[in-house]
This record gives sequence, structure tokens and C-alpha cells, in this order.
Amino acid sequence: MSTVAWITLVSPLVAAALILLVTRSSKPLAAGLAILSSLIAALGAWIIFTRGVDADFHGFNWVDFGPSFTLPFGIALDPLSRTMLVIVTSISPLVFIFSLGYMKGEEGYCRYFAGLALFLFSMLGIVLADNLVMMFIFWELVGVSSYILIGHYFQKDSAADAAKQAFIVNRIGDFGFMLGILLFWIATSTSTTAGTISFAGLNASAGNINPAVLSVAVILIFCGTVGKSAQFPLHVWLPNSMEGPTPVSSLLHAATMVAAGVYLLARIFPLLSASPEAAEIIAWTGAITALGAGLLAIGQDDIKRILAYSTISQLGYMVTAAGLAVSAALPMFHLFTHAFFKCLLFLSAGSVILGMHHEQDIWKMGGLKNKMPLTFLAYCAGMLALSGCPFFSGHYSKDLIMACAWDHHRGVFWVVVIAAALTPFYMARQALVVFFGSPRSEAAKHAHESPRVMTVPLVLLSIPAIGAGWPFIEHLFFHEIGPLAEPEVPGFVPLVFLGAFVAGIALALVLYGKAVKDPLRIPLLENRFYIDTLYEWIVANVQGGFARLLAFVDRWLIDGVLVRGSATIIWTLGFALRFLQLGNIQAYAFFFGAGVIALIYVLLTVH
Amino acid sequence: MKLILPLLIAIPLAASFFIIAGANPRRTALWAALINLLASLLLFSRYDLHAGGWQFVSEWHVMPKYGINLILGADGLTLTMLLLSTLVTFAALRVAPKIAKQEGLYYVCLLFISAGVIGAFSSIDLLFLYSFHELALIPTFLLIGIWGSGDRQSAAWKATIYLGTGSFVLLIGLLALYLSIPANLRTFDLRQLEQLSLAGNIHPAAWIYLVLLIGFGSLVSLFPFHSWAPPAYASAPAPAAMLHAGVLKKFGLYGLIRIALPLFPEAMQQLNGLLLLMLIGNILYIGYVTVAQKRLDWTIGYSSVMHMGYIFLGLASLNLIGVNGASLLMFAHGLSVAAAFALCGEIRQRTGTLDYAELGGLGKVTPVLGLLFGFVALASVGLPGFANFAGEILVLFGATAYGPIMMIPVVVGVWGVVVSAIYMLRAYRNIFWGPLVSRWETLIDITPTARWSVILLLAPLMIAGFYPQFILRMAGTALHH
Amino acid sequence: MPTLANYLIASGLLFAIGLGGVLLRRSIIIIFMSLEMMLSAANLSLIAFSRFGLVSGQQNYDPQVLVFFIITVAAAEVAVGLAIIVSLYRARRTTHVEDLDHLKF
Repeated sequence: MSTVAWITLVSPLVAAALILLVTRSSKPLAAGLAILSSLIAALGAWIIFTRGVDADFHGFNWVDFGPSFTLPFGIALDPLSRTMLVIVTSISPLVFIFSLGYMKGEEGYCRYFAGLALFLFSMLGIVLADNLVMMFIFWELVGVSSYILIGHYFQKDSAADAAKQAFIVNRIGDFGFMLGILLFWIATSTSTTAGTISFAGLNASAGNINPAVLSVAVILIFCGTVGKSAQFPLHVWLPNSMEGPTPVSSLLHAATMVAAGVYLLARIFPLLSASPEAAEIIAWTGAITALGAGLLAIGQDDIKRILAYSTISQLGYMVTAAGLAVSAALPMFHLFTHAFFKCLLFLSAGSVILGMHHEQDIWKMGGLKNKMPLTFLAYCAGMLALSGCPFFSGHYSKDLIMACAWDHHRGVFWVVVIAAALTPFYMARQALVVFFGSPRSEAAKHAHESPRVMTVPLVLLSIPAIGAGWPFIEHLFFHEIGPLAEPEVPGFVPLVFLGAFVAGIALALVLYGKAVKDPLRIPLLENRFYIDTLYEWIVANVQGGFARLLAFVDRWLIDGVLVRGSATIIWTLGFALRFLQLGNIQAYAFFFGAGVIALIYVLLTVH
Repeated sequence: MKLILPLLIAIPLAASFFIIAGANPRRTALWAALINLLASLLLFSRYDLHAGGWQFVSEWHVMPKYGINLILGADGLTLTMLLLSTLVTFAALRVAPKIAKQEGLYYVCLLFISAGVIGAFSSIDLLFLYSFHELALIPTFLLIGIWGSGDRQSAAWKATIYLGTGSFVLLIGLLALYLSIPANLRTFDLRQLEQLSLAGNIHPAAWIYLVLLIGFGSLVSLFPFHSWAPPAYASAPAPAAMLHAGVLKKFGLYGLIRIALPLFPEAMQQLNGLLLLMLIGNILYIGYVTVAQKRLDWTIGYSSVMHMGYIFLGLASLNLIGVNGASLLMFAHGLSVAAAFALCGEIRQRTGTLDYAELGGLGKVTPVLGLLFGFVALASVGLPGFANFAGEILVLFGATAYGPIMMIPVVVGVWGVVVSAIYMLRAYRNIFWGPLVSRWETLIDITPTARWSVILLLAPLMIAGFYPQFILRMAGTALHH
Repeated sequence: MPTLANYLIASGLLFAIGLGGVLLRRSIIIIFMSLEMMLSAANLSLIAFSRFGLVSGQQNYDPQVLVFFIITVAAAEVAVGLAIIVSLYRARRTTHVEDLDHLKF
């Protein structure tokens, strides 16, 4: 079984390496290698899942200084990683195959598939890692895959800047993550035993760590989540990551990579639940993110950005669920359903974009439901799931989070409910503007359905988008991870939820049913609460100013005053001493004589 | 077998002799470097890991009465450094462009640097350690002054005099160390010094450590003794910059590991706070100075100064993890900065400018150059998969293990990783991404010779990045205190 | 009877006059003569020591030997020095020492 696990992990890496080194110009071969590796990984994942393997396979010691310090590379298979493995490897082949159609004829085709393969390898590494350092390594690799893929159209200034921003903002989150790892290591090391960074070891020693230290360490690790899962205040990179090709947005920046932050929280769940202060902060961060991003989604006009802010909002839900410290399964369940329906939404958006010849402004679309019926149906499935329509997958996971929030943390509950009300509103807005009404541009008039290589994955994804939340599926994947019993809530709560759903859609119908341009113009929302502008200002003026100041100090003070200054002093000394060279022999003779007399005097009087 | 180390030094010197006598400079130099590379690989593989300690030792008596002898030997750390030196030398010679004036002298200078560096790393006698380093230092003056670019003459003068002063301070420290030993036991032999220290016979004063730290530190551009480095690297021709930043700079750190760690345990503990302040200056202060740079050569120059801070942090942690991390980081940084300067030289050759404002979009016309530079940039930013990350993370773990005083340096160190991402990615974005500036539409991509030279440097970097034990188990044999 | 002290004072005076001549005269030939005078002063004091400084009852002849050395060296020095002066005069057409200031800063 360990072979299966290792093959699952490594096959995408092999594909990426082969594409890079060997098949640089053969397009079908590159795509084929990538898709094949994703299918192998999927096969391996389902074998592991169906066998219910629970094991820790030790690979090798990456660093080995004996028992006092080793950094091992190992695969941890338990219910949590098995479920996540299934999520990642089931979605990936569909996205890869979709890319065949979407990226057809595009520049950098081989580079794209190499990047996707590298990403899959890195993501599987995160899922399967059995210790924090190994996970951190793959965390960084996922970041670089994202950088490569967002920057795919690197000749566009916006794409180049977006990729750079994504990497750096993630790095800022990783700053906290790394400090958290070091803190956990030192907190678990005593004079006799070495510190531990393995999940098993850390989760077991949750009770032994000083509570204050534990909270700080959990918050630091949470910083990694804030970066990777685009929580406030490190959320700014995710909407800009939409510069990448749409399949990339669907796989990385909706379903899997950004979910890694939530997965991390689930992995360290025993530590999280042992520190209530940390959990509180986590829950509130998630709630604020959910609400803020939901509001921002209303003001966006780009089809992908609406979905991006929706993703941030849903990630906020997952983070809140983790912060409620009820069970590791709670955030994971929403991660599960979200992965399917959000990926579906992005892929259908990709289908729309392709049909519209790469036009992304929703106000230039319209009436596409007749031109692109399959895409429309897939989109509806995703949209209803996201909005929490009963019977669809999203309903079950969102409902559960609401109920647990009501039960555990009333304040967070109200914030999250308002966010839940916004979702159907902006999603219906998007649906109405894009698919209904009459075409508002030439491209919309001539739009056509996408080829089968793209619509088949859409249809296939619709199935879990609808059904992934149903009780028996939830039981199959989650009953071993943690308890997911729905707590007792007063009857009006689910009704509020349902009412919000209906009200949101109704309001959208009213505002956008026949709209040709957006009736709702809120500058605060359109400018994304001015947070992006604030960050730009800070980078240019605070950081830039600080850097320029230090450069000035280095050039003029340290180099100028100290180094060149000391050189100048010596030069001046030499210049002054020059005046002793009078050229007059008699003057020299005089100095000579005076010196001799002084010497004789000293010698005679010293003793 | 015993004679391979002296041969490693003699071959570049002999090649220089042949070049002066009239042989084809480039070919002779490349052959010498290739033989050296193969020899050092041979030594690397033949080293007996279980026995450890100094192997391949050869001794020549010079002034035995004073304890000065030419003793050459290698242990794991030395062999790692020798591998680094020979790799970078070979790559540097291959990347050297066509020289118009005094080609022979150019290659002779590079060979002298190579010989000096090998001698410095493999010397067990402290005085010869110092002398070989001086041998390697003087040719850089010629290289920067004659074949450099930009404000080369002032850069050459500044670098040489500054480094000369640093060496002088170092010499004072070494002599003070020598004189602090009781007269009948005096020796420059490192092995005997270690024995004496273990036996408790010598207690060199703490101020000697301070002098050594400042001496070695200026050679390694420790803050605030770093001002020579950026202008020197900016003006130096690419092979000189590769050898200097990649290899010669590591000599100071190597010296500290060899001399300060075993002989000055209490002094190091006492003065650790001072060292920590200085290395925070390297990481944080120089890091932000790098952010303000607008040219690639200045960026790489300052960035190499910044990364020295991490190696010093590993030293300052005074434990196995940190010092091993420092050794690995020395190897990794040497390779990555050499590759960076090689590619920087390639860009300069093609465009004549390294200014971010003037470049842009080169990724379209020179994709392989862009890909290689991307690898180098990500390596220097500490991406896992490259040895730099492994070294840095070990340094951070080692520092954390030292004690609470390390809290601020460790936080600074981790933040430094963010800062290095900022300036490196900015450099990459401004040079290779974005719309193609029309001036550069006709650029040719990197030639196979240069391409494979850079890959020669990147391959060990990635091997050690995927499996750091490969280097660590070598370097670790030297560090079991 | 003149004592050692008398001779030494005479020698010192002679030396001082010679030193004054070297430092103060303009003509290079006069400076040379003053230099010779300083050497003669040294000779005088040596002979005085030879006459008056008795070593274990015997007269000491070592200083007298040294005097011969000094005379010889002075002669050689004069020869070389005058040759230099002649060359200098041919080059610069002057014997005034103040005019020879090419090595001034």
C-alpha cells in the first residue's frame, strides 16, 4: 500500500519533469502526460480510500542528525487525508481535460501543463504530509505553482503583477506559519526529548504545552491559512489571481490550493480546540472575511471576480467553522461540497468566456442560456448549490455551520447569516445578467456552446455539486473524521436561512431581471473597501520610503562618512605631511641635526 | 591519493605558467578547471565517512621551530567547499566572454583565484590559510580594475584596500592567537590547536575572538563592514563576481567555523549578542536597502550581503543544527549566487544595461534565459527544492534551539525571507515579464555553453535541495563538537 | 697645561662653527668646507681622548687609528661630492643651494 501512496504522490512530479525536460514542444504529449499522471493519482487515491488505509509511511529522513534532530519525509494516511485526497484527485483530471479545450491554440501550452502537474504534485504533498515541515515545503511549492500559472500570460502587466502579488502575500502568511512551526518545535522539546513537528506528535501533546504558548503558536500557524486561504487582511491576491487561465482559477484558486489553509486547520484540530482564545480569533477572522467578501462580490462586473470574492467568502465560512472548534469534519464538509460546486462554477464561467471570445464583463453578455444550454445548466447546478438551495450539496454543509454557530457562538452566527443572505443575491445577479435577457454585445450574439471536451467535465462535476452533501455521502466521507451531528436549534433558524435564500433571489430578480446596466453603484464596494489602494500606498510609500531611506544611509553615511571618510582622513594626513618636503637641503640638515640632539638628550636624561 | 590536494593547487598554477608561456588561454584554463573538478569529485566520493576527521593529509615542513608548516588536508566540510570551488571555477571559466585585451592575464587571474581558494580551504596551517586567501584576493583587483564595467577603478581600489585592511586585522588576530599560547606549545597547526583547546591548555582571550570576528567578518561583508561588496560585484566581470561572491566570500565563514568555534567557546557565548546585532543588520537593514535598488547587479550584490546574515545566524546558534545549516547554506548560496552573476553577465552582454526601467518582457525573446533566471531567483528566495531552503530552515531551527535571546533574530530571519521574495520577484518581473520593450526584440537566447554552465551550478543545488543529507553527512563530520 | 676639557671645548666649538656653516651658508662649496671642519672637530676630540684617556695606565692608540679612517673617508667623500657639485653646476649653472629645490612638494 505504501507503494500506491508514493506513486500517487510522485507521478505528477514525474510528468512535470518530463514535460519540462523532454517534451518541450510536443503539445499533445505534454497534455497527455499531465492528464495521465492525474488519472494515476486519482486511481491511487480511490484505492487508498476504498481500502480505508490508516498508516504512516516513513519515506526517508530529509535531514538526519540522529535522534536529537531529524526532519522526516513521510505519508500520513488517515480519514482526513483520505477524504482530501479524493477531493483533490477527483477534480484534477476533470480540470485537466477541460483545459484541453480551453487552452487550445494558446501560447505556452506545454508550460501550462507542466505547471498544472507541478501543482498537483505539490497539493498532494500537502495532503499527504505527516509533519509540519514537510507540509510547509509543499505549501511553498504550491505557492510557486500558483505563481507560474497566474503569470501564464506574463506579457500582460496585470498578470505579471498579480502573480508577484500572490507569491509575496502568501509569503507574508508563511512568515507566521514558519514562526508557528518553530514555536511548536521548541515548545515540545524538553531536556530529554527532541521537539516534534509531526502532526501525530503535536496533536498528542496538546495538553502538555503551556496554554499561552499554545494559543500564540496556533495563531501563528493560522497566519499561513490567512495567506493561503485569502482571509482578511491577506485576501487581496485572490481576486487578482483571476489573471490566470480559468481552469487554473477553478482548480487552484477555488477548489484545492486555497482550501489547503482549511485543511491545515483540520490537521491541527486538537491543538486548535485546546486553545479557546486562538479559536475565537480564527472564528471572527473567518466571519469578517465571509461578510466582507460577500459584500464586495455585489459590486464586481467581471464574471471571474464575482466568483473570486465568492470563494473568499466561502473560505471565510470554512475558517469560521474551524474556529467554532466543534469538529474537524465541520470545515472539511463545506470544503468538500465547495470544491465541487465552485470548481463547476469556474469551469462554466470558463466555458462562457471561451464562447464569448475571452470577454469577461458580465454587462457585455446576456441571453446565453439559449446559446450555451449545457453550460447554463451546469452553472445553475453550481449556483444553487452555492446559495444553499435545499437538496443541493451546499445547503447541507452551510446549514450545519449555521446551526453550530448558533449553538456555540451567537455573535459569529449573526455575521455569517447576513453573509449567507448575500450569496443567493449576487449569484442570482450574475446568473440573470449573464444568461438571461438579451445579448448586449456582438460577442454575446454569436456565442456558441463549447466543445464536448469541455462540456463533459461540466456535466460530470454537476453530479457531486448536487449530491455531495447528501447524508449517506457525508457519512461515507466524514464519519471517521469527526462528529457532524446537527445540534438542536430553534425551528426558526432553518426558516431564516430559507427565507434569506428566497429573498436574495427575489431581490436580484427585481433589480437585475431586466437590467441593461448595473442599477446599484456603490463606490465603497467597487473599490473593494479601498483596502487594495491602502496596500498599494503602504508598499510604495512606507516600504519604498523605508527602503530608500536605508539605501541613502548606506550610500552616504556608512559608505560615505565611514568608509570614504576614513580614506579622506588618510588622504588629508598625507597631504599635510607633504609640506614637510621643502626641497631645501639645509632645511633637511637642520631637521636631521635637531633630531640627533633630541635623541641624545632623551638618551642622556632617561635614566 | 595523498598528493591530490597539492595537485589541486598546483594545476591552476601550472596552467597559468603555460598561459604566460603562450598557450591558448581559454582552453588551457578550462582543461585545468575540468581536471580540478573531476579530482574534487573523486575526493568527495572517496572520503571515508565512518572514519571522519582529516584525510588526504600531506605535510611540508617550512619553519617547524615556530610551528609553521604547509599542511594540506581535507575533512567533510573542506571537501564540500572544494566541490563548490571547482564547480564555480569551471562554470565561471565557461561563461567568460571573448576578451579583447590581455586575454592571457585575464585567465591567469582567474586561475590564481582558483588556486588560492583551494589552498585556503584545504590548509590546516593557519598562516598558510591566510596566505592562500591573500593569493586569491589580489587578482580580483586586476579583474575588476581592467575588465570591469561601470565605475570599475574606484570599485577595484575600494574593494582591495578594504579587504586588505580586513585581512590585516585578521592577521593581527591570528598572531595574537599564536602568541597567547605558551611558548613551547606554539603552533599554527589547527589540529594541534584543537587538541590544546580540548585539553584546556590554552585560553585565548575574548578580544582575540573579537578581532578575528571583525577580520573574517569584513571578508564576508558582515554588517557594518559590507560597503565594499555591492560596488565591487556591480563592476566586476561576471566570472570574477561568480568566484568572489560564490567562493571567496565563504572563506571568512569557513575560517570562523574552523578557528572560532573550537577554540573560543566561552568568548563566542559572551560576544554572541554583538554578533546577533550585526547579523540582524545584514538581514534586515541590507534586505531593505536591496529593495530600493533599481539595477540587477546592485540587487544581486546587496542580496548576497544579506544572505550572509543567515550563515552567521547559523554560526551564532552554537549548536550542531545551526552550524550544519550554515555549512549547507554556504554551499547552496555559493552555487546560487554564482549562477545569478553568470546570468546577470549574460543579460548585460546582450543589452548593455541592467536597469529595471530599461528592460522588460525579455521572457518572450529569451525564454531559456528567463527560465534559468527564474530557477536562480526562486532558489535564492529560499524555495524548497533548492538547497538554500534546507540550509535556511536548519539555521532557523538551530537558532531557535539556542535560547530566548534568539527570538528577535529568528523573527528577523523569517521576515528576511519575505523581503528577499519582494526584491527578487520584482527583479524578475521587471526584466522578464511584462510587455516586450521594442529595443530588445532582436535579442538572442542564451548560448548552449552558458546554458550548461548554469545548469552545472543549478543541478547540485537541486540535488542537495531534494536530499540535503547528501551534503550534510559530509559537512557534518567536521562539526561534531 | 691644557686639559682634556680644553681640547673638547675647542673641538665642540669647531664642530658648532662647522654646523653653523652647513646650515647657514649659501654656496655649496662653503658648505662642503664646513662639513670638513665638522670632521676635523671630530678628529680633534678623538686625538684628545687618545692623549688623555688612559686605559690601564697605557696610552690608548685606538682613537688615533680611527682618525686615519676618518681622514680617508673624508677624502673620498670630498672627491665624490665635488664631482656631484661639478655635474650640478653644469646642469643648473648655479652653486647656490637655495636654487636646488626640485624635490619640493
